[in-house]
Amino acid sequence: MTDDNILLDIRGLHASIGDKEILKGIDMTIRKGEVHAVMGPNGAGKSTLSAVLVGRPDYTVTAGTVTFLGRDLLSLSPEERSWAGLFLSFQYPIEIPGVSITNFMKAAVNARRKAQGLEDLKPSEFIKLMKEKMALVQMKGEFAKREVNVGFSGGEKKRNEIFQMAMLEPTLSILDETDSGLDVDALRIVADGVNALRSPEKSAIVITHYQRLLEYIVPDVVHVLKDGRFVKTGGRELVDFIDRNGYDGF
Amino acid sequence: MKEKIIDRGHYVAAPTPEGAVVVPVGQRLSLCDALSGPHAFVLEAGASLDLCLLAFPGSSTGTELTVDLVGEGAEASLSGLYVCKEGEFSLKVIVRHRVGGCVSNQLFKGIVTGSARAAFDGRIIVAPDAQKTKAYQTDHNLLLGVDARAETRPQLEIYADDVECSHGATVGRLDESGQFYMQSRGIPEREARVLQMISFLSPVLEHVPEERREEVAARIEQTVRSL
Repeated sequence: MTDDNILLDIRGLHASIGDKEILKGIDMTIRKGEVHAVMGPNGAGKSTLSAVLVGRPDYTVTAGTVTFLGRDLLSLSPEERSWAGLFLSFQYPIEIPGVSITNFMKAAVNARRKAQGLEDLKPSEFIKLMKEKMALVQMKGEFAKREVNVGFSGGEKKRNEIFQMAMLEPTLSILDETDSGLDVDALRIVADGVNALRSPEKSAIVITHYQRLLEYIVPDVVHVLKDGRFVKTGGRELVDFIDRNGYDGF
Repeated sequence: MKEKIIDRGHYVAAPTPEGAVVVPVGQRLSLCDALSGPHAFVLEAGASLDLCLLAFPGSSTGTELTVDLVGEGAEASLSGLYVCKEGEFSLKVIVRHRVGGCVSNQLFKGIVTGSARAAFDGRIIVAPDAQKTKAYQTDHNLLLGVDARAETRPQLEIYADDVECSHGATVGRLDESGQFYMQSRGIPEREARVLQMISFLSPVLEHVPEERREEVAARIEQTVRSL
């Protein structure tokens, strides 16, 4: 493990919710700049994998290790994982009535700056950053004043997730079923936003049931997750194979 | 049947408390304050009352509100927040619809922390023949800490049949999914709690007169940060 290009390294990961084991031994290595797709049928453990990586408290890791940029990821709190450069685009974003997008993002951006030993962003700089990132997902000016996810359509919620991702500039982004419930236009906006953030230093895990999103965000590596294990890992040709044959063949 | 008649006599004919503030026909009264102690109001036809109670720690140990709607078309909007850190706080609200065609709305939100005890006792009384009454009441409490206690007793006494009334009361804790969502964005646990408390109280802020909203919002933030 002296490869400097390794961003995330998962070894023998087992995780449970309550007494039920969901992940039954996951191995995964993501290098800088790579996009990995995790595909699988409902109930395979896709969302559990993302939840465990960002430290959702209702899941228990029972075995295995996760190393992120050389650090033991599992020992970090959810906010520390965010500061380290990890981001999850939620499948079901949470509503926070009474808290504006502006105040929410200000708290997030400045908390990370504080963790990095930096001063709060100046209000003028913050507003400029907001505008720039809102444009990326085609959000209009009044969006900044709206309460977080309150009264948002499905497409707006997902665009808001990608907006937050753009604001926080994560090193590793996890998109959990970001395509679910999106029409073609919203899907394109989301995918364009994600693609605009790609760089040789940044990586992503795209979790999805369908091949649709992967037509826009082209993966380097595809994993097929079934019953808590990767049953197949390959290149992008796997996406077409699944499209034609479904998951039964694995 | 006999018992019910006695009840009617007891509640509906209860006298308006002495020293009640009368809001005359078609007039409007707006109040936004700690409003500690007993306060009584009588609303004549077409009169309206907008009352917003702000009970920050140390500013009040309790409030007793009595509102009598005595003229058709009167409207009462009662809202408020209470934040309790220690000791006891009690909020008692009685809204009496003595005639028909009036509207009353109540929205109260409380944060109870430390060793504090908070009690809400709200009663809506709709007199016989006070038809076309609309009366709503909500009281939500957020409990922080294992020693804090909140008790909420919403009550409806309706003696008319053509009315629209509802009440709802909850005592709950901070929403964990919202907490996690914020932490996943790098907002530390403590700051996430502050934002959630502000979020919880924000529906009351909408009832604060616009010119005072900024000042009250700042007071709320300062208060929840100190919890």
